[in-house]
Amino acid sequence: MAEKVEKWYPGVGKLTPGRAILYVILVLGIISAAARLFLGLGATTNLSDAYPWGLWISFDILSGVALAAGGFTMAAAIYIFNLKKFEPLLRPAKLSAFIGYLAFIIGLFFDLGQPWRIWHPMVMWNPHSVLFEVSWCVMLYTTVLGVDIFIMALERWKKHEWVAFFRNIYLVFLVAGIMLSTLHQSSLGALYLLMPEKMSDLWASRAIGPLFFTSAVIGGMSVVILESLISAWAYKRQAEIKILASFSKGLGIALLVYFAMKVTDLYARGATVWVDDAPHFFFYLELFGTVALPAILLTFKEVRNSAKGLYWAAGLAAFGVVLNRFNVSLTSYGGYRQFSYFPSAMEIIITLAIVAGGILIFDWGTRYLPVYPSELTGKAS
Amino acid sequence: MSKAMLIDTTRCIGCRGCQVACKSWHNLPGERSVFSESWSNPRYLDSNNYTRIIFREVAKPGKDLSWYFVSRRCMHCLDPACVSVCPVAALTKLENGPVVYDDYRCIGCRYCMMACPFQIPKFQWESAVPLVRKCDFCADRIAIGLAPACATVCPTETLVFGERKELLKEAHRRIGAHPGKYYPEVYGEKIVGGTSKLYLTPVSFEELGLNHRGFRTDLGNVPYGVYGREWMSKVPWVGLGVGGLAVGLYYINKRRAEVQERQSPEGKEE
Repeated sequence: MAEKVEKWYPGVGKLTPGRAILYVILVLGIISAAARLFLGLGATTNLSDAYPWGLWISFDILSGVALAAGGFTMAAAIYIFNLKKFEPLLRPAKLSAFIGYLAFIIGLFFDLGQPWRIWHPMVMWNPHSVLFEVSWCVMLYTTVLGVDIFIMALERWKKHEWVAFFRNIYLVFLVAGIMLSTLHQSSLGALYLLMPEKMSDLWASRAIGPLFFTSAVIGGMSVVILESLISAWAYKRQAEIKILASFSKGLGIALLVYFAMKVTDLYARGATVWVDDAPHFFFYLELFGTVALPAILLTFKEVRNSAKGLYWAAGLAAFGVVLNRFNVSLTSYGGYRQFSYFPSAMEIIITLAIVAGGILIFDWGTRYLPVYPSELTGKAS
Repeated sequence: MSKAMLIDTTRCIGCRGCQVACKSWHNLPGERSVFSESWSNPRYLDSNNYTRIIFREVAKPGKDLSWYFVSRRCMHCLDPACVSVCPVAALTKLENGPVVYDDYRCIGCRYCMMACPFQIPKFQWESAVPLVRKCDFCADRIAIGLAPACATVCPTETLVFGERKELLKEAHRRIGAHPGKYYPEVYGEKIVGGTSKLYLTPVSFEELGLNHRGFRTDLGNVPYGVYGREWMSKVPWVGLGVGGLAVGLYYINKRRAEVQERQSPEGKEE
């Protein structure tokens, strides 16, 4: 445990204002979560029979999982496509993916009417249900990510023979992770295959599964970029702009592919695109502001090679993925009922607390685990 | 063998006896009535109200005001979307007709509420450990050879319980025998693959203004569960395909990198 010191960054471990705010949000969230458990969903949320799914599904579940897609995207790029130059981005991506899935499970726990039965899909099966498949994939994939984190911990504890053991069978986890991610990222979209009549034409597509998968890849990649830039700033290290510049080319291509898929889908279905109302405003914002715009930005070398440019491009792309999930699950549903929905304060606080908790765990994880390359080379594991 | 209910809305007098009978049989609490812009009471189906009569006043230019009564409850689809989507199989379609719900399986994910094309499942929002509630077609009564509570009390034979096949025949007989009295279509015969509630109406549901309030006419004749099942039937193959591709690419790219490494010191490339 004496080595602990060598991983200390300047200012680390102190209660900085940033951390203090996160802790305050976390405590407020825990109080709200307790209220939600004891008083019920009706008393603490604005969910209703007209809007059974609200902010928690849109953000904690749909957006969270899409943004946590960086883990499998990076693993596929580095191991399957052998793009070894991106290796420094892998471990933070895995850590944030694991935290993203933990957030999913905690978010789901509070969203379920019967949280204590969250394990039921393990023993009560309905193989016809897309949600059944999603729950199994998420369970298994979180386990895979847990093993990944555990290997990092083993390195930290210098259990070299154990690390070697896991390295030998790592291909199994790698392939399982990619398989499970492909399935549940697209299946989260396929949940909405059953409600075409409730959804706006703009999003009710038979191709929603592949669209969700592609945008999840975008979400994962842009979070990897953002997280690399932000942690460099937070821990006062040099950002790996060179690697990020090369990586962001991939993000640009993914955005172009996604844009082409979206447009083809809309054209093939003959959706009415040019209308002046609220859902269409969000649709334009999504398609042009957060898919086309960052794709165009990333064609410029100056953008790819500057932290500011990357912040904007990746930020827009990540925001676009979140916006898409909100559009599919809330905006799209809006024209269907005469009721409206806006999340209650407690729903918002619990969501913010999950995000704050995630950041705090990430902060703790980067300090405790060998996440950044500088530590790796120093240890020569 | 599949039981059904014929709901001939032209016979309904709006007495709400069915609502009361339903509450009595299911032991549901009564609640204080409130004034609203409609005669319908309660205003919405919820976890304490499995059925209600919708009162519609339809004014046509140059004609008298027409008053229609339409009983609303779970349609008990032949191939229900809710049964298809439930991740823990808490909902089941019984052989003899009813779509029933198992309190002890449900995790409260509310996907059934999202997926139901008729927006029937309702949630006990006021409870700390809520369950889903909806009309169960009095499955317990049917099991012992009784008709559902609502059909038993209906004084005008608006609600007729029986074999689905025979009720369909009767519905079409009525349409044929009284042209002009009925809209020539049995709602529930084909929609979403057929339901166990068969509606006869004097005019179309569009004209009743209910086609966006639970009686959608644009649902098509394909059961909604099919979309999910189609997806699920592909899942194992996509999984195997992606897995196989990943393993293959892993070895190919690894080998390629090894070959490149071996070649470069010899100066053959780069």
